[in-house]
Amino acid sequence: MERNPLRRQLQIMRKSLFDQGYLDEQFVQLEELQDESNPNFVEEVVTLYYRDSARLILNIEQALERKPYNFHKLDAYMHQFKGSSSSIGAKKVKAESTLFREYCKSGNGEGCMRCFQQLKKEYTTLRKKLEAYFQVARQAGPMETACRPK
Amino acid sequence: MASALPSGDMGAAEANSGNGGQMQKKPFTFNEIVLRNRLTALVVDGDNFCRLLEQGILQAYGLETQSVNNGDAAVELIASGAKFDLILIDMLLPILDGVEATRRIRAMGMRCKMLGVTACSGERERQAFLAAGVDVFVEKPLGPEILIPVLRELDGQV
Repeated sequence: MERNPLRRQLQIMRKSLFDQGYLDEQFVQLEELQDESNPNFVEEVVTLYYRDSARLILNIEQALERKPYNFHKLDAYMHQFKGSSSSIGAKKVKAESTLFREYCKSGNGEGCMRCFQQLKKEYTTLRKKLEAYFQVARQAGPMETACRPK
Repeated sequence: MASALPSGDMGAAEANSGNGGQMQKKPFTFNEIVLRNRLTALVVDGDNFCRLLEQGILQAYGLETQSVNNGDAAVELIASGAKFDLILIDMLLPILDGVEATRRIRAMGMRCKMLGVTACSGERERQAFLAAGVDVFVEKPLGPEILIPVLRELDGQV
């Protein structure tokens, strides 16, 4: 068991992110690429993801304001968003993205709207949780050895 | 952001090979693979983040990489004579989509390993991409369980 209280807190936060389904195995792969030469790799990747995906969220929002819906365009945006979300292991966000694409394929505008609202909630919640996690990680300092799979 | 990720290519193919100014090569690679040979890879993805991340992952495993952000640039790069051991290509790409780009790359005689790495998950998309010429259809994200066997094979470790 981790004796350092900050490290312990970090372990608990990390476990919670996986247990509650916010993150999946892909996040572990990112952690495996982090070591003493790139100690903040995961945080940097996540920061880039949120910066990059903000544009897609905006595109989708704007597309949902235009009637009739262009489901082909909406699907294309969400395809891209799903790809990058899955690349950081954002499990719930990815699930909502998949659902949104199904609504696009079936031409269900209301479904798209509802799903998108839920997606934004998950996206924002994950962001807040990861920000808190990385804040503690920075306080805890780098680990002595490179990350290894759990 | 520190340059832990590749600087990336925003337009037509730029020589983004090697690791200069990008993710440092690791003396050991994870999941117990150490490449014995120099392997090169091309990443074709219209999404900036995914392209950079996939490049970063490949570089972490020790590959030299280039990247382009659309299918047409990928075809042009191959047509110019560039050779790769591995190509990761997305399905939905600007200008020229991944299926058609793959078809044209194969038509040029390129026999390297091609992984179709896409957010698409339908069986129809899978069949279309495989029919176009990718060797493996991978739903994003590309994980080590897919990548490491491919790298072992390319490196002659199998």
